Amino acid sequence: MADPTMMGSGYLNSGNRSGGSKACTSPSENYQLARRRTLQVVVSSLLTECGFESAEKAAVETLTEMIQSYITEVGRCAKANCEHTARSTPTLSDVVITLVEMGFNVDTLPVYAKRSQRMVITAPPVTNAPLVPKALMAGQKRIHPAHIPSHFPEFPDPHTYIKTPTFREPVSDYQVVREKAASQRRDVERALTRFMAKTGETQSLFKDDISAFPLIAAQPSSIPYLSALLPSELELQSLEETDSSEQDDQTDTENNASNIIQDDPGADKENAVLPPGGGMPSGKANEENMIDNPYLRPVKKPKVRRKK
Amino acid sequence: MNRKKDKGFESPRPYKLTHQVVCINNINFQRKSVIGYVELTIFPTVVNLNRIKLNSKQCRIYRVRVNDLEAPFIYNDPTLEVCHHESKQRNLNYFSSACTAAVSAVDPDAGNGELSIKVPSELWKQGDEMKVLKVYIEFSLDQPKGGLHFVVPDVEGSMAERAAHVFSFGNQNSTRFWFPCVDSYSELCTWKLEFTVDASMVAVSCGDLMETVYTHDMRKKTFHYMLPIPTAAPNISLAVGPFEILVDPYMHEVTHFCLPQLLPLLKHSMSYLHEIFEFYEEILTCRYPYSCFKTVFVDEAYVQVSSYASMSIFSTNLLHSGLIIDQTPLTRRCLAQALAQQFFGCFISRMSWSDEWVLKGISGYIYGLYLKKTFGVNEYRHWIKQELDKIVDYELKIGGVLLHPTFSGGKEKDNPTPHLHFSIRHPHTLSWEYYKMFQCKAHLVMRLIENRISMEFMLQVFNKLLSLASTASSQKYQSHMWSQMLVSTSGFLKSISNVSGKDIGPLIKQWVDQSGVVKFFGSFAFNRKRNVLELEIRQDYTSSGTQKYVGPIKVTVQELDGSFNHTLQIEENSLKHDIPCHSKSRRNKKKKIPLMNGEEVDMDLSAMDADSPLLWIRIDPDMSIMRKVEFEQADFMWQYQLRYERDVVAQEEAIHALEKFPTPASRLALTDILEQDQCFYKVRMQACFCLSKIANSMMSTWTGPPAMKSLFTRMFCCKSCPNIVKTNNFINFQSYFLQKTMPVAMALLRDVQNLCPKEVLNFILDLIKYNDNRKNKFSDNYYRAELIDALTNSLTPAISINNEVRTVDNLNADVRLILEEITRFLNMEKLLPSYRNTITVSCLRAIRMLQRNGHIPSDPSLFKLYAQYGHFVDVRIAALEAVVDYTRVDRSYGELQWLLELVQNDPVHYIRHKILSMMAKNPPFTKAADSPLCNEALVDQLWKLMNSGTSHDWRLRCDAVNLYYTLFGLTRPSCLPLPELGLVLNLKEKKAVLNPTIKSEQGPGGSEVTPTMTSTSTLEEEHVVMEPAMSGVAMAPQGLKRKAETPLGSSPEPGQVMQEEPSVKVSVKSREEEDIDMETVHDSQAFIYHHLNMLERPSTPGKEPSSVEQPMLSMPGTPMPILSKESMSSKHGDHHHHHHHHHEHKKKKKKHKHKHKHKHKHESKDKDRDSRAFSNSPASGRSIRSPSLSD
Repeated sequence: MADPTMMGSGYLNSGNRSGGSKACTSPSENYQLARRRTLQVVVSSLLTECGFESAEKAAVETLTEMIQSYITEVGRCAKANCEHTARSTPTLSDVVITLVEMGFNVDTLPVYAKRSQRMVITAPPVTNAPLVPKALMAGQKRIHPAHIPSHFPEFPDPHTYIKTPTFREPVSDYQVVREKAASQRRDVERALTRFMAKTGETQSLFKDDISAFPLIAAQPSSIPYLSALLPSELELQSLEETDSSEQDDQTDTENNASNIIQDDPGADKENAVLPPGGGMPSGKANEENMIDNPYLRPVKKPKVRRKK
Repeated sequence: MNRKKDKGFESPRPYKLTHQVVCINNINFQRKSVIGYVELTIFPTVVNLNRIKLNSKQCRIYRVRVNDLEAPFIYNDPTLEVCHHESKQRNLNYFSSACTAAVSAVDPDAGNGELSIKVPSELWKQGDEMKVLKVYIEFSLDQPKGGLHFVVPDVEGSMAERAAHVFSFGNQNSTRFWFPCVDSYSELCTWKLEFTVDASMVAVSCGDLMETVYTHDMRKKTFHYMLPIPTAAPNISLAVGPFEILVDPYMHEVTHFCLPQLLPLLKHSMSYLHEIFEFYEEILTCRYPYSCFKTVFVDEAYVQVSSYASMSIFSTNLLHSGLIIDQTPLTRRCLAQALAQQFFGCFISRMSWSDEWVLKGISGYIYGLYLKKTFGVNEYRHWIKQELDKIVDYELKIGGVLLHPTFSGGKEKDNPTPHLHFSIRHPHTLSWEYYKMFQCKAHLVMRLIENRISMEFMLQVFNKLLSLASTASSQKYQSHMWSQMLVSTSGFLKSISNVSGKDIGPLIKQWVDQSGVVKFFGSFAFNRKRNVLELEIRQDYTSSGTQKYVGPIKVTVQELDGSFNHTLQIEENSLKHDIPCHSKSRRNKKKKIPLMNGEEVDMDLSAMDADSPLLWIRIDPDMSIMRKVEFEQADFMWQYQLRYERDVVAQEEAIHALEKFPTPASRLALTDILEQDQCFYKVRMQACFCLSKIANSMMSTWTGPPAMKSLFTRMFCCKSCPNIVKTNNFINFQSYFLQKTMPVAMALLRDVQNLCPKEVLNFILDLIKYNDNRKNKFSDNYYRAELIDALTNSLTPAISINNEVRTVDNLNADVRLILEEITRFLNMEKLLPSYRNTITVSCLRAIRMLQRNGHIPSDPSLFKLYAQYGHFVDVRIAALEAVVDYTRVDRSYGELQWLLELVQNDPVHYIRHKILSMMAKNPPFTKAADSPLCNEALVDQLWKLMNSGTSHDWRLRCDAVNLYYTLFGLTRPSCLPLPELGLVLNLKEKKAVLNPTIKSEQGPGGSEVTPTMTSTSTLEEEHVVMEPAMSGVAMAPQGLKRKAETPLGSSPEPGQVMQEEPSVKVSVKSREEEDIDMETVHDSQAFIYHHLNMLERPSTPGKEPSSVEQPMLSMPGTPMPILSKESMSSKHGDHHHHHHHHHEHKKKKKKHKHKHKHKHKHESKDKDRDSRAFSNSPASGRSIRSPSLSD
């Protein structure tokens, strides 16, 4: 009883503050709004009883808040008292004790209730109490064994204290994985290219609608052959990945160049179409120093005699 | 021409070159200029050598010294402007003959040259002693348009950081573009080459690098090269750039060079070069002739491969990483080609242009042997078939290709190839396409010779040529052995007969001395009674490009009992041949059937004719005739041939034939082949396309899923989910190629509405969607590109309602999907470019296809952006192709102009060439149809382009000629205004018609008589100009006069005479522009003369050259006559005439300068009047006569 109100009040306040323009739609909100309105009516009638003719909205609001807090506190304490005595539903005596503890003279209550000038307030409109969202039911709850009385609380869901079974296997179906990978990649690509197209210059295939099928503008580069011939980072990276999956030892990732070459001998395995390429012999690097090639020789210093 | 004689062949020059020094002191990348000198050591072979002719184009020559004495010189290049700008001729026949004459006039093989040096008289006396002369020439090149190509990327940094480089290039002998030389393949000498370049650069050239020395300021270094092997100037080359150097790990004398950052690619691409070396050395039993070999990879290359003495220059785009499959065999082929040309082409050179076929033939042939060894017999036979088909198609379409043209007596009239619109007399007047076909035919003919004399003898002949040459190369010049390094047709044939003892005369006569191919039509009937196959082979030898074949022909008949070869004799009148069959029909039903290769197979014989034992018949299965065979046999025979014949050529022929038999049986045969992984992958790829054609023909009766779909699913899709393709694994290349091809072929399928079936389109879209290359060790860029090609193939014309404008909203749903993919691919390519930008290329093609089919608005602006300089060359070509297509479809004058502009201004020579050849292939209009694009201005523009605009690049000039031919034909373009003569004689229809244009012309013209007069007078003038050009080599001066009176010696149709009225207005304009050009050239020369003659040697001889030169420049009509006289005299040795001529000059020497000025004024006045004449002055029509008439 008390909990929803408490939560509701907090919610309502914020809801009111953020502006009434928002129409409340959910049933639980409706329910709480109705209660709150009733409280406001109560406050207003009490004020009238006391002889006020009008009140500022803020004052009414403050008073409503106070009264709500008071009632909430009564509810909370009553529940605490009842639970203290190992029960689950508060009784009248719990409420009385609460009121006493809060310094309220209980004896004055019947007189006050029967005062002559009290106003009768219509019951709040019947709205459905909000459905408490059902806790996620997972698995079969255990029933009490014979030695536990039936009024004891039920066992919680088994997954909370025994094990957490997974209902579906983690998606390992090949088709779904491929599907997912494909659409994921496509989404990424599309988002990326759209972004690039939005942020940069574009060209369009249609004159009437430039935004449809935007093409990233073609920019000439000064050295076009470099990007066209050299493998992209991504290709090299994926190459490394496949390599490492095949041969786990290989951890050298810095030297891309050597990677390409190391890949060569692999290409020779299938010679049906292409002739064997013959990888670079590994020891060659050392030999290179000894190779006598005119292009590797040091450049000579000019001779002293002057050329004509 | 007998190369066995010690004397060697006769040089057309009065001297012999022995050694040449080329020294380039300075290469300025900023200004794109080069300064240097050459020194030629020559031995006079005549007593009084007073004139030395050398080749030199576009070089600015500062001084010439002969043995340290200043020598006067003349620099005249008639090829700069083929037809003089005065000429109003616009017919191609005229241009061709003028062009040939111009090229002849400077042809080193005729002893001519652009640069004529007068040997100082002090040295004449020495002539008796035949002393060595040293000709020293200082020259510079500024912004060369040909010969050398500078690539200077526009980025920050020093030239080396910018990867700026320069390299030599050219079509055939084009070395004269970058230094003065004897630019002939037959003039060999030893070389000393020196190049001083920036210290951060490397200069790679021919021969051995002796040393590299810093200059004194240590900022530059000089590369000293020595080439001790006698080499012709056209085989000298140079490449300078900040190259990365890779010494071949297998052969340390081989060095590879590439541009910065590409070293890893270079390492990979060059890793198999040593195998090619080994192969050639082994088959030729001869070591590689040079002591070193260099490969240089440059950007913006003129051709993919060019070979020079001990080095080859390649396009940098041949380099690839290990990730790339498709480029690998292509690059290997290029390397093999280059290396083959090192032996035959560089080391062994040719005597004359008509011997070119031997070199191209041998290098192509041994390259073929390499292909056979490396890529296998299937690939080799497939290649041979491809080449044969290519040459046959070309010859049947364009006309014969003549390998060994003989120009008997130099009579122009005996044009051996009258069907061509260009002359084959010189390599520089050949259309590029023709030259490619020439090379193709040459190596095929070598193969025919091999068939005749066996490969063993063939290789012995090559070995003999090489060993003779290498003996000769090590000799001193004085031994007169160097001519052994030149190959000639007769020498080659003699070697063959010596080695093999066989007479191959008829073969040579048929395929080398004669052009054309053979076209066979075959059909047969089986005579059951006689058990004889009656074969009928007919020939078509009347169509263009064909010739008659007489001789043996091999026919292979596959019968039930085995395969049998028969050699039939094709004779004059026998069409029918009876071939006895070996097997009785259906005797042994159960027996296996033996094939040609000895294999025995089970066949399902239910399809065949029960009465006949014939399974299939093949005519000339070894391709030992240059032929096209159209053979008729029943569909089941083709199917048997496809399934069971093991020769890939037979399989391909069967596939081709089956296109005409759309039956379930054909379908089954093709599907079986497709599935058979034993079968050659290229056959299977062809089967894909055939299958899609058959499926389309069988549309109504086709059952089951679309062709190839289930096959593809089975081969490449996941077992568990057949709609998803497996992740890529291209480890098996055959499967890879098949996987690439099948979707492309499937996309050609059509349903009843002639649309690509929805199922197929979705299938392809799924392939794209599920394509996953993460686990693949190869790049999938070619695969993805082909998937885009598949999308392109699936497109069909849009249904358009009232030509509505294409908008996004009315986009077809399928097209929207396709466009979505293309957009994404194209955009992704910007972020992650693929190798050679294959994907962009495919996307551009797809977009153009969408435009052409009316799905999206036709618009060239996107392509124009991609065609800009600065994109990768493949992308540019694809974009330009789209613009060319747009120009044709939309008949856009603006785009046509834009393309022509690019032809003139683009920095990349290859692009210019491609634009013209693409335009010739897909012309904006043709001579057959009227087009709004066809107008006078265009005629003049193209004429100017080929006349003078392309003088720096022979290939481009020939491309321009080709385009002109495609657009306007041989005769005068029809769009030019008709002559304002009252009557037009149409000789073909034999009637005279009142000139329809007269009325409209009269109004604005304001004068009725004048135009007619103008036209007649110009006509006369033209004939005078034109005649000498024709008779350039053949005619004596007397003949010249006589001919001048008979109109139109060159244009064959007399009807043309009447249409000679040129477009005066436009031509005047262009003429004036040209005039300015001419004058600036002239001025710069005058400037040099001034400096050399006035300042340094203020005395006499300086005037002599100008006196000869200036009339040439000044008189519009005269260059041809002079030129023709000169060329003629040298050809026939008509010294008398020559001297006379010379004498005349001497006489006039002093007055000429005055005369020149006077004439020049006169001319310009004429021009003014000329332009006015068109509008009002009636008198001027007569006075327009050019000075040449009075000569």
